[in-house]
Amino acid sequence: MRDLAVRLAALDEDAGAALRVIAYFDGLIEAGAGLQSIVRGAAVLADCPARLDDEARRVHIRVLPDGVSSPAPQAFDAAWPHLAAGSVTVRLERTGPPGPVDAMVLERAVSAARTVLDRTRGRAPAADSTALVELLIDASGPADARLLAARHLGLPAETTAYVLVRPEGVFINGDEPTSGRAGIGPTVPVLDLPASHVAARTALRFTAAGTEEDPGPQVVSYAELGALAALATVPDPGAVPDVQALDHAAAAAPWLLQTLHAVTTTTSLRAAATTLRVHHSTLQDRVVQAEHLLSWSVREPHGRLRVQLALALRRLHRNP
Amino acid sequence: MTTTQAPPPPFDPELAAALNAVADQMPSSVTPELIPLMRQGGGALAQLADVDLTRDGRFTIEDRTVPGPDGAPDISLLICRPTQATGTLGCVYHTHGGGMIVGDNRSGIGEMLDWAERFGLVVVSVEYRLAPETPHPGPVEDSYAGLVWTAAHAADLGYDPDRLIVAGASAGGGLAAALALLSRDRGGPALLGQMLIYPMLDDRNNTPSAIQMAGLGVWDRTSNQTGWGALLGDAAGGPDVSQYAAPARATDLSNLPPAYIDAGSAETFRDEDVAYASRIWQSGGRAELHVWPGGFHGFDLMVPTAAISQDAREARLHWLNRLFNA
Repeated sequence: MRDLAVRLAALDEDAGAALRVIAYFDGLIEAGAGLQSIVRGAAVLADCPARLDDEARRVHIRVLPDGVSSPAPQAFDAAWPHLAAGSVTVRLERTGPPGPVDAMVLERAVSAARTVLDRTRGRAPAADSTALVELLIDASGPADARLLAARHLGLPAETTAYVLVRPEGVFINGDEPTSGRAGIGPTVPVLDLPASHVAARTALRFTAAGTEEDPGPQVVSYAELGALAALATVPDPGAVPDVQALDHAAAAAPWLLQTLHAVTTTTSLRAAATTLRVHHSTLQDRVVQAEHLLSWSVREPHGRLRVQLALALRRLHRNP
Repeated sequence: MTTTQAPPPPFDPELAAALNAVADQMPSSVTPELIPLMRQGGGALAQLADVDLTRDGRFTIEDRTVPGPDGAPDISLLICRPTQATGTLGCVYHTHGGGMIVGDNRSGIGEMLDWAERFGLVVVSVEYRLAPETPHPGPVEDSYAGLVWTAAHAADLGYDPDRLIVAGASAGGGLAAALALLSRDRGGPALLGQMLIYPMLDDRNNTPSAIQMAGLGVWDRTSNQTGWGALLGDAAGGPDVSQYAAPARATDLSNLPPAYIDAGSAETFRDEDVAYASRIWQSGGRAELHVWPGGFHGFDLMVPTAAISQDAREARLHWLNRLFNA
């Protein structure tokens, strides 16, 4: 009896070889094969060591062409043929010319591995992890259910993590966005993530669009808010007189909010002028006009504090 | 009692995938018309192309012609002797598989050489005549003649006659079982063990597994009928079949050398192989039985890389280790 590898190798670059690769991986999935089997299939069909790495799920598998599992002796070589999909990467440890079915093996192995990983280990912590994340941040959920959800998301019970909230969703250990608003909760043990989530939501309320009408930081970390976080408990921040004064003044001078934000978040008028990209004397004129509109000083410490608090309350009002 | 036919056990996932990939080359049902094609190497049971049997000089290879059964032609033995082994050698006498109808004494030799390197064994593999041209008792008598010669020439071959086992897969497993029966009944060579790899034992071809796996996997009930029909003609399945043709027919399984028997759960031979082990135990004998879940016939030969194939081969090594290194 000829073994499978011999049979497939004999087919060489024949189009039939690709069809057999497809049939092989389809067969694995239909029969409910696991990840080891998929990586083994890649190694056997490509006739070289194959590896699968999924950093997000902390899965690392390597199999030799004779089907024996073997831990990776060294880091991967970027020159090896490889294919990634989502958080899964499959690599063939081949230097030199590619084998006849390498491309097809990579494509089918990655696809099969994703199917299995999604089925057995939960989806990677990405946009499609909604249900597990919701379970994880639900303080009313039982602890064991939340630990299970954490494990499915690739978070062992003993690790710490944080919640990042964006207007479009909730992320565990999410990266700070390069654009758009985000609130970041404190780093806590996995079971305390509901508290990190509440804090991240609060932080998100302090964020701003970063525009002329809504100046301020797009990303806010709860830990850096300090005592300002207490403002989040104000029942109707839009009703605070200083906030109304800001809006009233801004209606008369469209540059006002951005100017006040710059003046109260820098250490000198010169620095504020640079941030705003206006001439120092122009800024001097605006500050005088702003103080007139608000009827309080924005350069004295107390006046600066009033402006900062009013701007913060205005954001809380805009982000209920 | 009425019975409804249960679905077959599912194939192991890796084995299923391999079967899927080569389905068009692997007819489950081998009919007599396919025998010539299979002998040309195009079929499921074709052996590997000639490989380097010396394994880079670790074996010396010799084809020796020795006397066949009385009144029959001489037979050829493939003799592979390890060149680097130290200590006392043993010997594995090998009867190849191929449904009694195909194959030669190179078929399945790779695993024998693996054992030989591991345990210090001389490998002797017999070229018995095939059915249907040579019906029973030709194949088993050829095999027995080669065994007798091998045992008588232990000193010549350089092994300890107390360390002689018979081994074979499929039809070769059936022949190995028959050799153990013949040696017992004729006062022939003393055997240390019998390694019966998914052996073909029962010409009646009517076990639940044979019925359950019809048309599926490798070597189904139709193929089995083709093999037994070639060996026994119209006598197959009838009342007068010799136990040396079909060891499942033996009424006495006592006083046999220790047996290793394995099978796949998804193959025709499952139930006859399990029954053979059970009957050895019931006769007060020694047997080790492994049934590999989802294995089709010859799974470890066709897909040696699969996890379950590696485990199946490892289990055989464990038994051999206990046998030779006890």
